[in-house]
Amino acid sequence: MIQLEQASKRYDDKTALDHANLHLPRGAMAFLTGHSGAGKSTLLKLIMLMEQPSSGRVIVDQQDLSKLSGNQIALHRRKIGLVFQNHQLLEDYSVFDNIALPLKVSGYNNADAGRRVRAALDKVGLLSREKQLPRVLSTGEQQRIGIARAIVNKPRLILADEPTGNLDPKLSAEIMQLFEQFNQVGVTVLIASHDLSLIDRLPHPKVHLHQGHLSGAFVGSD
Amino acid sequence: MSSQAQRSRPEALGKRLLREHGEVALSSWMRLWRNPITNLLTWLTLAVALALPGTLIVMLNQAQGLATQLHTNNEISVFLSQQTSPEQATAITQQLQQRPDIKQATLIQATDALQEFSLASGLGDILDSLTDNPIPATIIIEPQDKDANTVSQLADQLRNQEAIEQVLIDQLWLQRLQAMVETSQRATWVLAALLSSGVLLVMGNTMRMQMESRREEILVIKLVGGTDAYLRRPFLYSAFWAGLMAGFLAIIIMSLALLLLQPAFANLATSFNSPWQLHNLGIWHWLATLIGSCCLSMLAALLTVQNQLRLIQP
Repeated sequence: MIQLEQASKRYDDKTALDHANLHLPRGAMAFLTGHSGAGKSTLLKLIMLMEQPSSGRVIVDQQDLSKLSGNQIALHRRKIGLVFQNHQLLEDYSVFDNIALPLKVSGYNNADAGRRVRAALDKVGLLSREKQLPRVLSTGEQQRIGIARAIVNKPRLILADEPTGNLDPKLSAEIMQLFEQFNQVGVTVLIASHDLSLIDRLPHPKVHLHQGHLSGAFVGSD
Repeated sequence: MSSQAQRSRPEALGKRLLREHGEVALSSWMRLWRNPITNLLTWLTLAVALALPGTLIVMLNQAQGLATQLHTNNEISVFLSQQTSPEQATAITQQLQQRPDIKQATLIQATDALQEFSLASGLGDILDSLTDNPIPATIIIEPQDKDANTVSQLADQLRNQEAIEQVLIDQLWLQRLQAMVETSQRATWVLAALLSSGVLLVMGNTMRMQMESRREEILVIKLVGGTDAYLRRPFLYSAFWAGLMAGFLAIIIMSLALLLLQPAFANLATSFNSPWQLHNLGIWHWLATLIGSCCLSMLAALLTVQNQLRLIQP
């Protein structure tokens, strides 16, 4: 699903990713670990095409991302559900409208969008909150709304950047359970996290990022 | 499994676009009324910038009509030499009347002219004391073709004729008036161009601020796969509505301005003995103002939005 071939990303003063190789198969669920600033976000940004690699290739769903431009970038992003640490919900949109956003940009009509949004809300257990504004919800609820938005379009790949960063251990475990449920229906899940106490308890392979170098599961030799 | 196949019910592209555009048009219209004061001020700024050259253009186009109308009264005064007898004068007049390029030749005999002059000038006593009539017989000629060149050619031909002392075309001041109107028209178009760039700048800046205030939204929409066309749409509609509102306000301002100017122009026309009057805006002026305003506004939005979308990247 995700393939990195000698991918490097250099910023002016540092190397975030150094000739990294990775092959995350379809349907896998993995953690991307490493201390903050190790380049986890950079790796996710390369997959989201928010950044281009300085060298090497990033291939998602058999598509070389360097060959995409304009609308193809938008279409590529529709295939991916992205969950942020700070959930990135729009404050003046209701819960419903926030979750419906990925459907709206893909041109769903209101009836179809409504069905899907409610299904997604049901999945994260917040069906009763659809008319509320995000700011009246608790942090844990906001994060689950963010997840509902990421899955509403039924993506084949979910990327999560420190999804439990602001949550207590109990809420964090619930969030991880949600991701496991999506993975069980075939969605590929890659979660960047430095919350080792949580992910060590879960039976999923880990990819470790340290000073721009990848190690652990799914990492080919370079 | 493509994202198309995931859709639970397929919808025809045309129908879908129509629905999406309808939704965006409505929501951007609703958005206008979230900041009514700010928006109203922007529309007024645009409206004034449009109404100023608009009023001038409408006014000068009509003033040119006045000048042309006066031009149609263009006449040639032919003064016969003092020695011409009344009979000769009548014969010359009849001769001139035969010419195909002369519509009407009217003779004013020397005695009639003197009488008319003494009545008009109030110098009757002094004129009576003169032994000779100092005023020659005059033929007023209305040419068939009122074009300035043709008229002056005709005047030249008449000048060479026997018994004709002097030929005057009363058109110099008309030429000056026309030149003035034309110059003003050119100046107005320059002004219109300048103020249109003002409209572009004001609208461009408004769009830039709108996008800046919706930066978060733009970023999230980009991340969930919104295309540039999708992101552009609400801003283009908002510019369209702003252009429409500004256009309506401009029409109101222009109508009021023309209403205020009408009496002054009526006086001016009366002083030229012309029934000409300044008309207010017609349906075509309305349409031109609305279309022009919307086009300018959307052009500004198109230029700004494209640039801003490139700058706002996740």
